[in-house]
Amino acid sequence: MLKIIFPSIMLMPLTWLSKNNMIWINPTVYSLLISLISLSTLNQYSDNSTNFSLLFFSDSLSAPLLVLTTWLLPLMLIASQSHLSKEPLTRKKVYITMLILLQVLLIMTFTASELIMFYVLFEATLVPTLIIITRWGSQAERLNAGSYFLFYTLSGSLPLLVALVYIQNTTGSLNFLIMQYWNQPLMDSWSNALLWLACMMAFMVKMPLYGLHLWLPKAHVEAPIAGSMVLAAVLLKLGGYGMLRLTTMLNPLTEYMAYPFLMLSLWGMIMTSSICLRQTDLKALIAYSSVSHMALVIVAILIQTPWSYMGATTLMVAHGLTSSMLFCLANTNYERTHSRTMILARGLQTLLPLMAMWWLLASLANLALPPTINLLGELFVVMSAFSWSNITIILMGANMMITALYSLYMLIMTQRGKHTHHINNIKPTYTRENSLMALHMLPLLMLSLNPKIIMGLTY
Amino acid sequence: MNPLILGIILLTIMAGTLIVMISSHWLFIWIGFEMNMLATIPILMKNFSPRSIEASTKYFLTQATASMLLMLGVIINLLYSGQWTTTKMFNQTSSIIITTALTMKLGLAPFHFWVPEVTQGIPLMSGLILLTWQKLAPLSVLYQIAPSINLNMLLTMSLLSIMVGGWGGLNQTQLRKIMAYSSIGHMGWMTAIMVYNPTMAMLYLLMYLTMTLTMFMLFMINSTTTLLSLSHTWNKTPIITMIVLTVMMSMGGLPPLSGFMPKWMIIQELTKNDNIILPTLMAMMALLNLYFYMRLAYSTALTMFPSSNNMKMKWQFEGTKRMTSLPIMIVLSTMILPLTPMLSVLY
Amino acid sequence: MNMFATFTLLTLFMLTLPILMTASNTYNNNQYPMYVKNIIACSFAVSLVPTMMFIHSNQEMVISNWHWMTVHTLKISLSFKMDYFSMMFMPIALFVTWSIVEFSMWYMHSDPNINKFFKYLLLFLITMLILVTANNLFQLFIGWEGVGIMSFLLIGWWYGRTDANTAALQAILYNRIGDIGFVASMAWFLSNLNAWELQQIFALTQNCPTAPLMGLLLAAAGKSAQFGLHPWLPSAMEGPTPVSALLHSSTMVVAGVFLLIRFYPLMENNKTAQTLTLCLGAITTLFTALCALTQNDIKKIVAFSTSSQLGLMMVTIGINQPHLAFLHICTHAFFKAMLFMCSGSIIHSLNDEQDIRKMGGLFKTMPFTTTALIVGSLALTGIPFLTGFYSKDMIIETANTSYTNAWALFITLIATSLTAVYSTRIIFYALLNQPRFPPLILINENNPLLINSIKRLLVGSIFAGFLISYNIPPMTLPQMTMPLHLKLTALAVTILGFMLAMEINTMTQNLKHTRPSKTFKFSNSLGFFPTIMHRLVPYLSLLMSQKSASMLLDLLWLEAALPKTIALIQVKASMLVSDQKGLIKLYFLSFLVTLTLIAILFNYPA
Repeated sequence: MLKIIFPSIMLMPLTWLSKNNMIWINPTVYSLLISLISLSTLNQYSDNSTNFSLLFFSDSLSAPLLVLTTWLLPLMLIASQSHLSKEPLTRKKVYITMLILLQVLLIMTFTASELIMFYVLFEATLVPTLIIITRWGSQAERLNAGSYFLFYTLSGSLPLLVALVYIQNTTGSLNFLIMQYWNQPLMDSWSNALLWLACMMAFMVKMPLYGLHLWLPKAHVEAPIAGSMVLAAVLLKLGGYGMLRLTTMLNPLTEYMAYPFLMLSLWGMIMTSSICLRQTDLKALIAYSSVSHMALVIVAILIQTPWSYMGATTLMVAHGLTSSMLFCLANTNYERTHSRTMILARGLQTLLPLMAMWWLLASLANLALPPTINLLGELFVVMSAFSWSNITIILMGANMMITALYSLYMLIMTQRGKHTHHINNIKPTYTRENSLMALHMLPLLMLSLNPKIIMGLTY
Repeated sequence: MNPLILGIILLTIMAGTLIVMISSHWLFIWIGFEMNMLATIPILMKNFSPRSIEASTKYFLTQATASMLLMLGVIINLLYSGQWTTTKMFNQTSSIIITTALTMKLGLAPFHFWVPEVTQGIPLMSGLILLTWQKLAPLSVLYQIAPSINLNMLLTMSLLSIMVGGWGGLNQTQLRKIMAYSSIGHMGWMTAIMVYNPTMAMLYLLMYLTMTLTMFMLFMINSTTTLLSLSHTWNKTPIITMIVLTVMMSMGGLPPLSGFMPKWMIIQELTKNDNIILPTLMAMMALLNLYFYMRLAYSTALTMFPSSNNMKMKWQFEGTKRMTSLPIMIVLSTMILPLTPMLSVLY
Repeated sequence: MNMFATFTLLTLFMLTLPILMTASNTYNNNQYPMYVKNIIACSFAVSLVPTMMFIHSNQEMVISNWHWMTVHTLKISLSFKMDYFSMMFMPIALFVTWSIVEFSMWYMHSDPNINKFFKYLLLFLITMLILVTANNLFQLFIGWEGVGIMSFLLIGWWYGRTDANTAALQAILYNRIGDIGFVASMAWFLSNLNAWELQQIFALTQNCPTAPLMGLLLAAAGKSAQFGLHPWLPSAMEGPTPVSALLHSSTMVVAGVFLLIRFYPLMENNKTAQTLTLCLGAITTLFTALCALTQNDIKKIVAFSTSSQLGLMMVTIGINQPHLAFLHICTHAFFKAMLFMCSGSIIHSLNDEQDIRKMGGLFKTMPFTTTALIVGSLALTGIPFLTGFYSKDMIIETANTSYTNAWALFITLIATSLTAVYSTRIIFYALLNQPRFPPLILINENNPLLINSIKRLLVGSIFAGFLISYNIPPMTLPQMTMPLHLKLTALAVTILGFMLAMEINTMTQNLKHTRPSKTFKFSNSLGFFPTIMHRLVPYLSLLMSQKSASMLLDLLWLEAALPKTIALIQVKASMLVSDQKGLIKLYFLSFLVTLTLIAILFNYPA
């Protein structure tokens, strides 16, 4: 694992010591190379996990998320080039350093083999994200967004710290490998219920669960493009990853405790999808769509069947790529019109047909078109929810319909119809933007050929 | 002030604290406290404004009361145990009175009212001494009598201090008052663990001293005492903005900075002693602390605070103040979380 | 060792070649449409070989190629089922598409994006064939959604037009409602039978419970525009005429019926499902025929006619005759596509005029199109020994002699006669009498592309029924004997319809309503269905989402419950704590109080 972490850390001196005109090229190229190295972790030999050292390991759950994280850094760098072009050199370097720092912390989080280390790094990822949102966001609401983001996450995760320390004292070790064997079943009592809540709430806030999701639209909307990308693609998945890890030790209490959250998620899925239909702000629409997809993941994780775990993992990876791509597309709009309002830039298909194709592909992926992995994840979740309780099919079906509606609504609103007059002189699409979209779409399409690698633990 | 006088006074302060720390006779402890207090008063009054004098008067009155209470407790202990050495006190009354006196000296709630007032009225360097050096002596006595402190009382006071430190600091824009309330809160953390594992309290003290020292030195570079003047630093010494941000987050206890380490250790020790609700409450209250630190950091580093001067071009002179140990302090207060396994040297 | 599998896969592979060629230079010049047309023609020829082999020796095959993944106990792989249905449908679909593609080379000639149009048509064809040859539900779902999305893209071809975008979104919406049913039945099959492969499903269910069949029925209703989910089909006429000809007459809309036909082993044992299908189909066929009577847009009339025929196909499935329904699918493709192509020819020639009240007298000026239109209409109404007769008449006969819902049969008969009525209306208004279009329009139908494509389908409309029904293996026992009046019912109501329509049209040609009657209003506004449903339901759901989901919950309650309440508490507490007078006597008072309290409370043995 050090072969991935050390090069990532070394990207920071690379940025600071590069020549002025190589400042974007160097980190991008080297981070692409690092993502190639991380692909090797996808090759899982044994049933259990591949242990690199006492501190780091990777198994079939963390490997896809690790690859997603390392793949995302070059994409973030490509996407940020335009809005930072007017800043002084030092500030560009600071921004890139923040992104690289976040990347290093995320890599270590996903491969941490001990829960307290996972917790420390989980919290640590908040710091660079906060700095990116609050310093480089564009509107005044970013302060509020940063505070909401920080304090929602922290107030959820501080009880987790106490719970983890308590578990370490009672069980003796928090290492994943040992915990599988030393695990005691959790009996039904008030204090155990509180322990369950303390463990889960941190990840529920991060996912986010409907009801605790208010930080997400704010943070996603106010963040600059790289911040939005990493938030949507990876940081939300931290919550899912944590839940997937912790639910193994919280049985059998989960059967009782999970009910309120299941109900909240099922209902919230429909609610947030409906909110998407009425949004006027493009980034807020994509943010609420993230909440809706993540609600599906929460439902899947709390049902705790092998099929649902597979669906959750697949859906996480698929949603990461799709959501990040949608944010990049929204950013291309924003860079040209400097507004996030959808009705200001319409009929773009007439002027930018290639970008319209990327919009189409992203919307199709978002509405879970077969045979993409989005559909696969959603289908597995629907199947397992159906077997858990037959009535959920109504809600899931309604969600599928509303998702299709708002995805295509977004597409039609921005690309089709008569174009507004003031977009007559927008800049044509850069090659950089096209390659960014292609780099998002190609993994998504190629994974449809072999989804086995992202199906996670129970494949 | 005449350097000779200043030297003698500083020496007396140091001597007083050292006497408190190394003696095992209660009378000498009291003597050390009195020396310390009397020598601190001129330091607090250095610039002769009515505000400073009021601050030093309040300081004197509070500390004198505390010393008298200490003497009372010591006498009661003498009455019941017949000796003057500082060992485990078997008498409840004397233990309570001595603890009360020491917490009054520290500025724990509900005896905290003097701390913000005093810190606000004095210059930055004096405030530094007040909030860092003056805490050493009472804490060392608490360390020595740790096994015999009444747990309920001390835990109530520490929880109350954390709450007061959090809520009080929310309403402030003066940097010295912010540091005072933060000190109250941190004292609360320290005393919470004192009975269970005094070594952890020492660890917390070390980290607290480092971080507070760093903060005060950063403030002294530009002689900033308000939030408004701190928000001008991007123009004068831009490098401080990032450092303020980092140290503030460290003081708030955010991982991966080193301020997280003592809080984590305290939570661990408390949990080991089957205390679950208390550390959860303490951690949640620490979020309040974090809030006003972040507000400070926002106005300094992350946004451009509205001010009368928004020009980007200002003459950046070479700094006149000599801050020799500032880099070391900064590193120590932000980056030593990975060295946590080295804690074993404290045992 | 025969070449069955090879030829089938070759057919499918050949169609993907032009898509792959888009990356190269063949896409960028004006030879691309010709290239696509030739590929489709060759595919048609190649696909005839396996069909002949099937007809000759009843050879069926299931090809299971590439193992995609095995999830615990479920194996999903790429598998093609070459049986009666897919073998017969493939050449017909390819033939009709060949003609339509040739037609669209004429129709879309002036479109700058004609290459993209052809690419989309080809993609549609490929997904339709995936749907038809799929052996497991997942692959079927791929084809199902694929045709839905291609329909969206093609209906919204002229995307600058708001109506086109609305129609495209409407199509997706109604299809998605059907998809809910599809996914529900997939879920049922998975949980109860642990299978998505058709063979396994058929082997495991003897008497199938109703739940999955309801799901499949909902899916079919969505895709094939049955009553309740029907408005998208007339709205889909916003797309270009080739799109209407291909998707919304011959291939895509029959996908729903095709799904039910595929699942006939399950349906033949479940009376509830059959009854529901029958009633739904009967309502659909009558309702849409009624709506077609007063429409003025030629494409909409043909669209409603499609919808009515789809209802008829559902009725056929409802009386447990899936193979007849399939026969009707095959024959219907020919004349319906031709009807659309003739409409397209008329529209283009009259300078994009679609209103039949502004056409007329084309009998003399466009003889070929007239011929084709009349032959197509006759075939549609089931005139003996044209194509439609072989399927439609059989259906009506079987319906008349079966023990089913008499009411459903009755309204099917009414719908049959209405078919004749609106066909007459088209012919009367568009072709007969004096011209009502501006006189300066140049009408020229002499383009070989147009003529050849319609000619092929014309030949098909006349002979295909005969050819197909005499070559297919008999799968069910046809009704051999019946009383004479039952045998002649279809013909009788059709002739009745023709006569009535002709009479009424000639009588009222120059009359106008002073005030439209209630029946007229009902028929003209499509039964008030879109008026009510397209305004009420979206309004309510958008209102709900704005008012309750967004404003009430998100911006008010959820904000207030957690963040704002906590913030309020903290503000109050902080003002309480930091608001001090600064008087030292108060400080000492507090110290005294504290000390007293401590002395009282804590002064007990530890």
